[in-house]
Amino acid sequence: MEMLLGGLMEILQPQTLLLICAGTLVGVLVGALPGLSSSMAVALLLPFTIYLDPIPAIAMLAALYCAGTFGGSITAILINAPGAPPAAATAFDGYPLAKNGQAGRALGMAAASSVAGGIFSLFVLIFAAPFLATIAYRFGPPEYFALTVFGLSMLASISGKSAVKNLIGGAFGVLIATVGVDLTTGVERFTFGVPELYEGISFIPVLIGLFAMAELLDQATQKDRPLERFAMSALKLPTVEDFKRVWKTILRSSGIGTFVGILPAEGSTVAAMIGYNEAKRWSPNKDNFGKGEIEGVAGPEAANNAATGGAMVPTLALGIPGSATAAVILGGLQIHGLRPGPYLFENQPNLLYAIFFAMLLANFVFLAFGLVGARYFSRISLIPRQFLWPTVFCLCVVGAFGVGQSLNDVYIMLVAGFIGYFLNRAGFSPAPIIMGLVLGHLVENSLAQSMILFDQDAWKFFTRPIAVFFFVLAIVSVFSTPIGRLIKTRKREDADKLAHGNE
Amino acid sequence: MTFLKTAAFAAATLALTAGSVTANDFPSQPVEVVTHASAGGGTDTTARTMLIRARRELGTDAFVQIKKGGGGTVAMSYVSGKPADGHTLMAITPTHLITMARGRAPIELEDIKGVVRSTDDPIILVVSKSSGITSFKDLKEVSKQAPIKWGGTQAGGIDHIAAITFSNKSGVKIAYVPFDGGGAMITNLMGGNIQAAGLNYGEAVDGIESGDFIPLGVMAEKRLTALPDTPTLAELGVEDVNFSTVRGIVVMADTPAERVAALEAKLLKAMNHGTYQAYLEGIGLDPTSIGGSEEWDAQIRSMYANIYQTLGDLGLRK
Repeated sequence: MEMLLGGLMEILQPQTLLLICAGTLVGVLVGALPGLSSSMAVALLLPFTIYLDPIPAIAMLAALYCAGTFGGSITAILINAPGAPPAAATAFDGYPLAKNGQAGRALGMAAASSVAGGIFSLFVLIFAAPFLATIAYRFGPPEYFALTVFGLSMLASISGKSAVKNLIGGAFGVLIATVGVDLTTGVERFTFGVPELYEGISFIPVLIGLFAMAELLDQATQKDRPLERFAMSALKLPTVEDFKRVWKTILRSSGIGTFVGILPAEGSTVAAMIGYNEAKRWSPNKDNFGKGEIEGVAGPEAANNAATGGAMVPTLALGIPGSATAAVILGGLQIHGLRPGPYLFENQPNLLYAIFFAMLLANFVFLAFGLVGARYFSRISLIPRQFLWPTVFCLCVVGAFGVGQSLNDVYIMLVAGFIGYFLNRAGFSPAPIIMGLVLGHLVENSLAQSMILFDQDAWKFFTRPIAVFFFVLAIVSVFSTPIGRLIKTRKREDADKLAHGNE
Repeated sequence: MTFLKTAAFAAATLALTAGSVTANDFPSQPVEVVTHASAGGGTDTTARTMLIRARRELGTDAFVQIKKGGGGTVAMSYVSGKPADGHTLMAITPTHLITMARGRAPIELEDIKGVVRSTDDPIILVVSKSSGITSFKDLKEVSKQAPIKWGGTQAGGIDHIAAITFSNKSGVKIAYVPFDGGGAMITNLMGGNIQAAGLNYGEAVDGIESGDFIPLGVMAEKRLTALPDTPTLAELGVEDVNFSTVRGIVVMADTPAERVAALEAKLLKAMNHGTYQAYLEGIGLDPTSIGGSEEWDAQIRSMYANIYQTLGDLGLRK
């Protein structure tokens, strides 16, 4: 209770409140912009938070994460161009509703179910994370190795075109992580005698390159597509009848979203797809789906926002990111010298509660922004590209330089951008690469540490029940991709066509 | 007219500056302290805290210049490229010495000269309560059955070298387990995954106070004031295993001796001020951390010799 109040006090500073509101506003705007995703926005904003205290910095990033997921639904409903992939499923029914002149109703439902899903998942976060952290005390190198292998295996079912390509992307990320002096042998690897590479390739420039720079290059090759926008008078909160119709869907999707979010590597997009499919499966108005069914808006929106809170659970408790954006936030924690895991809660007891309140607040702030400004936000997609993308380019360069004050990081960012552009064209998405990069050190070092602890006898992994449990999960996830089956491939391809970017 | 005025003013300024140089008025320009680590880390904070009073003592501005990368390589090549006039100082740690010993640095040990030592944080040999080891004798006995699982940071880093040097000189067999930071090390020592670790006082203090960690020995010549009951390794019969997370200021060796002396006197005065002393106390150290040029320079050289020897044993030296 004391810690709860402590966390609240951290947030109730004028500066922090302002930062959370700013993060939420940026999140909604960025989320609404097709091409700009919340992972990209968090990556671009991260270098600027170095000069803040850890709690305001992380609170702002977390608020942006929440709001970005909601923002995507505005453009999904009004112009059938999801601002971010998690909102792709929202467009299936949101856009037909808007066409029927019910844009206000659809947006109101999107906002209300987003808030409901978001808050549901935050309460799971506040109870599950400390619990998970107490178990994490029992996590030594062997357990971390097994957990990381499980996390990497989940890449097989992360959003994107092909499971094989995702796994290749993950392996590529792990490969990038091997550059530098090896922790367990002290040997230099892939440094080519360049001193700047001894300490490895810095995470943030790669992140900015893959998420922002690559998307920029991709956008530069595309023609402007004229967008048709629906007029709407005002955003309407759901009526009692609507609410009666969807509350079961919202509750179900909140649960699904939170669970999917907790799974390592699985983010909002997968959650939204499953949320949509399940809403359809259980609905009495099945046939109306795709033609403008309000449940088809509530289902994915509750799920994708629930995934944000869920994704923070393993990120904070174990240091294993629950989604691509959570991976970026994890990078932020590390920049501020905070090591996620059980010690984080002990050394920074206020942090978890501060993040909880920041995200909770963000949910209400974006509801307010949505109510007042949805129709203005939808105009953001009309910003001419020739102004938008050069701005993003400036942010890329400044962000890459800012962290280490080194031009080398800018070169790394540019190289990562070009690599990311060609990989995108070849059908690889950047999220698995980032996961590989984040988990690469952990998977390799924990294996090496385990082998030393086991006196080089790999069979001793079987003496650790938690490790065996995760190994089994990893095998299951690669060979059956149970989550993958729930998502119809066709829907996923539709979503990929509609949306650019990640998460 | 304006141009003429400006020119005349510039000439006058030049003359003044030239005059001050001949009068050996050192320092005549801002002093920079080059570090190799990120802002906010231990090295950065130490340098910045020292500079708070040093600015006043030096009578000039002084600032921290971060040149990250390559285990100090980037910082060392930056400093060696600057004139050796005492205006460019380098904050060094054992990392720089290891980089030199591995033949990766652009300069050698002979190229630097110690000015002052700013922190001296000895490594303490700590075992976990759950390991069942309570004394140095136990440690030796237990290691006869299976090597002691000893946690530390980066292989080839100072923790590793300290652990291996200890093992060689004491006969205690160890298996070194590298972790990516003090936090992970402590979690694993608490969790019983490793039995022993070399920790700084600041890292170990919580565990020692709660009784989860037992300090067996200090890798220093004198006992720590904070741990008066913990013997030094020399008292336990293991000689010359003195390792610490030590930080200090060096300049290039061809810097004029009177300038080195001036810097030494002014920086020592700055660090003896309450501001810096309070900082030392905050990280669990005492005033003996601070050392003058002679003591610090000798320490650099003896540490280097130990590092050079052990890296050779480990096959990590060219």
